[in-house]
Amino acid sequence: MDHFLAILSAVPVTLLVTFAAFALGAVIALPLAGGRRSRFAVVRLLTKGVIDILRGVPPVVFVFILFFGVGSDLIRWEPLPAAIVGLGLISAGHLAEIYRGGLMAVHQGQFEASAALGLTSTTTFSRVIGPQAFRVAIPGMVTWLISLLKDSSIVSTIGVAEIMFVTSQGARSSGEGLLPFIIAGAVYIALGTPLAALSRWLEKKLSFGRRA
Amino acid sequence: MTDPQPKAGETILRLNDIRKVYGDHVALGGVSLDVKRGEVVAIIGPSGSGKSTLLRCVNQLEVPDSGTLEVLGSNIDFAGRVSSADLLALRRKVGMVFQSFNLFPHMNVLRNVSFPQERVLGRSREEADKVSRDLLERVGLANKMENFPQKCSGGQQQRVAIARALALEPQIMLFDEPTSALDPELGLEVLAVMRRLADQGMTMVVVTHEIHFAAEVADRLIVMADGAIIEEGVPSELLAAPKTARAKQFLSAITDR
Ligand SMILES: Nc1ncnc2c1ncn2[C@@H]1O[C@H](COP(=O)(O)OP(=O)(O)OP(=O)(O)O)[C@@H](O)[C@H]1O
Ligand SMILES: [Mg+2]
Repeated sequence: MDHFLAILSAVPVTLLVTFAAFALGAVIALPLAGGRRSRFAVVRLLTKGVIDILRGVPPVVFVFILFFGVGSDLIRWEPLPAAIVGLGLISAGHLAEIYRGGLMAVHQGQFEASAALGLTSTTTFSRVIGPQAFRVAIPGMVTWLISLLKDSSIVSTIGVAEIMFVTSQGARSSGEGLLPFIIAGAVYIALGTPLAALSRWLEKKLSFGRRA
Repeated sequence: MTDPQPKAGETILRLNDIRKVYGDHVALGGVSLDVKRGEVVAIIGPSGSGKSTLLRCVNQLEVPDSGTLEVLGSNIDFAGRVSSADLLALRRKVGMVFQSFNLFPHMNVLRNVSFPQERVLGRSREEADKVSRDLLERVGLANKMENFPQKCSGGQQQRVAIARALALEPQIMLFDEPTSALDPELGLEVLAVMRRLADQGMTMVVVTHEIHFAAEVADRLIVMADGAIIEEGVPSELLAAPKTARAKQFLSAITDR
């Protein structure tokens, strides 16, 4: 019971890391996805490079680079912001590819019809292309959010007091190995399940009245 | 409709020596075309002859490599860059209907017609909806306004697309094979709407394979081949006695079907 309460008390930190990193990534991914479609080859190549690096480096390595590497040489920062920025940048790489898939799924005719009607490119993206691309991207985005929730456990290694950090501490101090980690696993599942349900609900809601 | 209306019969669309090249393929080899107010021009020709490209150059979905375009008194010269303000102004005067309808799938029929009015003409939602309802009734879709496009037949979708373009009060309407994706009966619904539009005096340029429509509705028939206009004239005369061998061959190929 002590373990359970201690772990529950760390849930807000896990959720903060997860959602803050996701939000940061969701925003940074926009220019990255845009850059992949730039009419300038240099920009396309550059953004592809950035995305490939963000997706290619294991999260724990990336967070270490930010916290221990950049953290000791350039800026001193606390574990929590380093964790959020690290996982946020990695999310940006993944979400950029998910956005790109969504954009590619939008029929070319939608761009042409918007142009022919005289809509500005801002309106075209925000009201015509964006919503259609977003609908395609949602399942991938939620899948990423769920894996981010689980991956957030790695930031315990730089001392962020989230679920995994508190669990290891409890295990060490009490000498009980199995129980705390089983509780932690169950808590992750309990947190992830509503997200999966949210994804299904959103998909249905955004299906343009096909099933309405 | 606050603009002073130029008098009927004057030239409102003038393409002069329009060239468009893709790689080393000449899609349009210097095409010139004048269209008068209220005129209905039908364009026919074999696949790949440049019909779509010509139409798309008019509203700048394709930017020609050279040539000039004059629409309702505004000139665009493709030697220099075309400003986006000029582009939007041009597209406001010219409506376009596509073979594949291209309705917005995330908006219902009414929103499809109202949304562009709000954005392009700055109408309020109430004003726009009023115009939309009126237009949709006139194209026979009074009972489909709340439906999403996926729930409409192709013919209904194309009529929505026509209403959506008309709602912006264009002075010229371009149609690129508007019935080619439709079963014949559904095509007839669309052609009926277009015929009515022509009767009301709309200036129209229609790329089509519907020879009957061209013969009955068009004032002028244009035959294209290999990126050029090879023949043009009064539809009934041209269809009865094409002058060039190429036009003769194309016409016999499509009427044999
Ligand atoms: N974006 C493009 N890139 C390269 N080539 C193109 C492009 N658009 C058109 N073309 C080529 O230009 C030529 C003219 O095409 P266009 O679509 O205008 O023909 P069309 O007369 O409309 O034919 P169809 O009856 O098949 O619609 C074709 O050979 C086509 O392959
Ligand atoms: Mg074509």
